[in-house]
Amino acid sequence: MNRYFRELSVAGALVLLLALLGIVAPQFFEPQPLLSRLTAQVPTLVLTIGIAMVMITRQIDISVGSQFGLCAVLAGNLLTGGLPLPLALPLAATAGAAMGALNGCLVAWLGLPSIVVTLATMVTWAEVLRLTQQGRFINLPAGVQWLGLSQAAGQTALLAASLALLAAMAWLLKNRSGGRHLYAVGSDAEAARLSGINPKATTFWVFVFMGALAGVAAVCNLVQSPQVDPKCGTGLELKAIAAAVVGGIAVNGGRGSLWGAFVGLLLLATINPALTFLHVEAYWEKAIQGAVILLAVVADGIRSRRNAS
Amino acid sequence: MAHSSRSLKAQLLRHDVLLLLVLALEIAYFLNFARNFGTPDNLSNIVRHSAEIGLLALAMMPVILTGGIDLSVGSLMGLCAVLFGVLTHDLHWASLPAASLTVAAGLVAGAFNASVITLLRLPPLIVTLGTYSLFRGLAEAITQGTKTYRSFEPAFLQLGELRPAGLPLQAWILGVGALGFYVLVHRTTFGRSFRAIGFSPEGARYAGLPVLWRTALPYLLAGGVAAVAALLFTARLRQARADAGTGYELAAITAVVLGGTSIFGGTGTVYGTVAGIAAIAVLNNGIGRIPAVLKAGIGGELASLLTGALLLIALAAPGLSKLLQSVRKQSTLPASANPSPSPTH
Repeated sequence: MNRYFRELSVAGALVLLLALLGIVAPQFFEPQPLLSRLTAQVPTLVLTIGIAMVMITRQIDISVGSQFGLCAVLAGNLLTGGLPLPLALPLAATAGAAMGALNGCLVAWLGLPSIVVTLATMVTWAEVLRLTQQGRFINLPAGVQWLGLSQAAGQTALLAASLALLAAMAWLLKNRSGGRHLYAVGSDAEAARLSGINPKATTFWVFVFMGALAGVAAVCNLVQSPQVDPKCGTGLELKAIAAAVVGGIAVNGGRGSLWGAFVGLLLLATINPALTFLHVEAYWEKAIQGAVILLAVVADGIRSRRNAS
Repeated sequence: MAHSSRSLKAQLLRHDVLLLLVLALEIAYFLNFARNFGTPDNLSNIVRHSAEIGLLALAMMPVILTGGIDLSVGSLMGLCAVLFGVLTHDLHWASLPAASLTVAAGLVAGAFNASVITLLRLPPLIVTLGTYSLFRGLAEAITQGTKTYRSFEPAFLQLGELRPAGLPLQAWILGVGALGFYVLVHRTTFGRSFRAIGFSPEGARYAGLPVLWRTALPYLLAGGVAAVAALLFTARLRQARADAGTGYELAAITAVVLGGTSIFGGTGTVYGTVAGIAAIAVLNNGIGRIPAVLKAGIGGELASLLTGALLLIALAAPGLSKLLQSVRKQSTLPASANPSPSPTH
């Protein structure tokens, strides 16, 4: 009970919110709009998986929104240039991994703080994107949206694929040595090194993997609309970090689970439409997101202080 | 010991010299290739436009010196600008009380960051990432994302225009701010304790320093300074909007890191930060004046891009040079034991 206190309390809050919506706005649960809302969260879910792994390793990456945008525009331009859809995914993932590798080099091998490194790469990639794209939307060729399937089938496929990815990564983190290395490095890098783990390599590869996931997330987003918005990645890093923090990923590393982050994402993703249904203005989204991050870290801080004393 | 302190000094000296060299190169380049760069008008322009980022950088410097970071200052500028707009327009306050309350609000926001970080011992990066989103979000919620406050009192707008003794008011404010932070960091026991805390918080605590309160002070100051920057920004642009100061936290951090303050805390100088501010201000101004850039209308994007790249280079440089040094030492060690005069002589 105590071990999963955070996950369970977040899940409890989610159930309460859903129950409230069920009474006040039952139309929230109509199947097709609900499926659309869930599918719209797939890119954020993919990013959250990566961010959770980065944070478990005691790092942070706020450049993922910019990586996401660059990958989306790159894949969009290649698709309009005649690239077949199945190749878009590996290409975007490779581009993302390359950007992640830059973060990884600076953080792991030069020992620089990830917050400043990724702040710099966040702005650099965002400006590269603005310079090259100048705000232009990309019109995608026919057959890209919903992978060429019907909307409902495409949405179901995306949702199923992302949940499978979540389950696979959660299992790997919990049960395979590679996954446990993240927790070991995040708890105490020196102890991890003494027990034969290479913390630098682990950190480096986590950032590379995060970049690759940003590319995958970009493709998951791209197939949901007929156009690519060059600003599609803006602010996504905060959404993913908020989901991870709310879901119990410790900001000091070494603790938390992907399932917790998933529940955190569901809660955050429900708050916004709930506000609309409860007739609160949508402009409050960013403020509420910030407040939720603070609330989650303050709750952690108070709990760890109480445990310490 | 003597040897290590000398090499540290050499490193600092090299960093300062390097930065001044970059600044000189920038100026030489823009004098030759940018339109109307060297005119007196443009010089005062550079100062007027860099006052806000400069103030934020000065306030960021002690934060980073203690080993922390404050990502929320740019967002707080937006919130303070909107608050000032609400007070003067929706509530019809006069400018002076409205400005005073805005600065007070900035201090309260800074105190909020400070108390969450110090009392709950939470990492500054995640706390200020939360307030980064919260402050900007509040500003957007108040203005519904679109509202712009215009037409302020002429007396207030003078803040952006006045030229006492021939220099723009911003130059005076920046000068006073730089002097104030210089005295605080380099000439008071407070400043020495920032350094001690950044070097080793545990050591500072054993030395009997009130670590909590002295870690909190820089965040408090940063909040107040962000409010002042918001007022200057509003007066200069003659409008207050929720997006005031977007991305300024990056520019401020870049100026501090470029100026030689270690991102891990413990070492750094205010005059280095001033040089860092100058390097960024000149870059921002000069880029937009290169004819090709001017024609394409991409000055802002290019300047931000170069700021980001500059920060990456400034961050990586010490690590890379250390790496190179260790490689060089390994290769020269067998030939001559120690070429520099050793302390044992």
